Amino acid sequence: MINLQNVSKIYYPNVHGLTDVTLDIQPGEFVSIVGQSGAGKTTLAKLLIAEERPTRGKIEIGGWDITRIAQRDIPFLRRQIGVVFQDFKLLPRKTVLENVAFALEVAGVPGRRIREIVPQVLKIVGLDEKMERFPRQLSGGEQQRVVIARALVHRPKILLADEPTGNLDTINAREIIDLLQKINAFGTTVVLVTHNREVVNALRRRVITLSDGCIVADHAEGKYLLPV
Amino acid sequence: MSFFIRCWRILAAAWKHFTRNLWLALTTVFVLVLALLSVNVLLGVNVLLTNAVRQLEDKIDVSVYFQANTPPAVLEQARFFMDSLPQVKSAQLLTADKALEQFKQLHANEPKILGALSELDQNPLGATLIIKANRTSDYPFLLEALKNPQFDFAIESKNFEDHADTINRVRDIGRSVQMFGTGLIAVFALFSILIVFNTIRVAIYTQREEIGIMRLVGASNAYVRLPFVLEGIFLALFALLVSAAVVYVAAYYVDPRLKGLLDGSDAGLVAFFVTNWWRLALIEGGVLAGLVALSSWAAVGKYLKK
Repeated sequence: MINLQNVSKIYYPNVHGLTDVTLDIQPGEFVSIVGQSGAGKTTLAKLLIAEERPTRGKIEIGGWDITRIAQRDIPFLRRQIGVVFQDFKLLPRKTVLENVAFALEVAGVPGRRIREIVPQVLKIVGLDEKMERFPRQLSGGEQQRVVIARALVHRPKILLADEPTGNLDTINAREIIDLLQKINAFGTTVVLVTHNREVVNALRRRVITLSDGCIVADHAEGKYLLPV
Repeated sequence: MSFFIRCWRILAAAWKHFTRNLWLALTTVFVLVLALLSVNVLLGVNVLLTNAVRQLEDKIDVSVYFQANTPPAVLEQARFFMDSLPQVKSAQLLTADKALEQFKQLHANEPKILGALSELDQNPLGATLIIKANRTSDYPFLLEALKNPQFDFAIESKNFEDHADTINRVRDIGRSVQMFGTGLIAVFALFSILIVFNTIRVAIYTQREEIGIMRLVGASNAYVRLPFVLEGIFLALFALLVSAAVVYVAAYYVDPRLKGLLDGSDAGLVAFFVTNWWRLALIEGGVLAGLVALSSWAAVGKYLKK
């Protein structure tokens, strides 16, 4: 599903974001990518959604080589990957319903279908009664659930969650991780980028550990090994 | 995605941007209105000055004084000939009696002149032909035309020489006003373009994060850009309506109050804006909408690359 071969990212003038990273993530896996700040987690996430280009190496998503993806093809890639961000990245002037529907609108889904699917997805994340609210009228946990609904609504094969619990309290963080596990149970590949030790250890799923831009550990039922 | 669905969604998104971003929209409209007003105020001033010069020009004429015993047939021939020239706006013949009557009216408060006149047995004045040209530049030609041998012999004097300086000065003022007005309008139009461009850039800058989010969610460049461009066009049209309302109300208010400055003549502001409303709306609206659309396109493009 996700395949990186000898991928390096060097920022100008000579800052190594990632160095010679090779990894393979199979369909339906739940993978946590962990590491301290500056380890290269976010660089890896940005490479997967073509927000950054690798300096060297090859990246394939679902068999599609996106290493040198053309600017005009990026929207098509992003419609296949659901992304959850730490800072939510909701459109502030759109309601909950419109934020979620936007992901379908850009993909050209007909209005009738959008009106059908969006309330269903909002019900799954428990926001069906708040769909006419604006993001500023929601709590942090609720906003993150909207983001997950938006990421899920077009049924992506991959869900990339970059520090989704970073701005949340323990209870909300737990709810978000439960939601990600449910999504994974339906067959979606989940890539969780985090430095939250408790979350990773509780999951008991594959853990890839990054340090200074390199993979230092990759365990099938791993734990957060690095010091906090 | 069908073309119509895409258009409808872009239009709906633009309208929602506009209504949900009301304060930013109103601030932008305010600046656009100021830009339009500055150009319209100068247009109005230009109209005013042009009308003032035209009224000065209207007051200029050439009076041709005929000898007292000139036969009416010669006088009529002179009037007919001059009136038939395309450069002549009007040629009015005053008979000797009327000329005397006017002379008396003109000098009603000067008993010495009136006393001297009453001493005379007969009317010392001849008929007078008053000629007005279409343009001040036509007067030299008309003076040449008056040298027609069919009535030239009967002309005692012409007063154009007395007015020549005035006519030339008025012509110079007219030319200067036109040049200065056009230049000033061009400069203000340029300032307005820069103001509009920067206003739109600032408005888009405040929404740069949204542009990035739309891209991350998978929106194509056109799908992100077009609502902003359309929103800009809404703002331009709204600004055009507001500035038109302000200009027309101001013109109706100011026009009668300027009569005093123009010897009771109409300042022509209302007439200008009413007669040319569609042309002004088309040019100003078109230029503004085009400029705003272009500025929005360029400003959004800056954040699409990030």
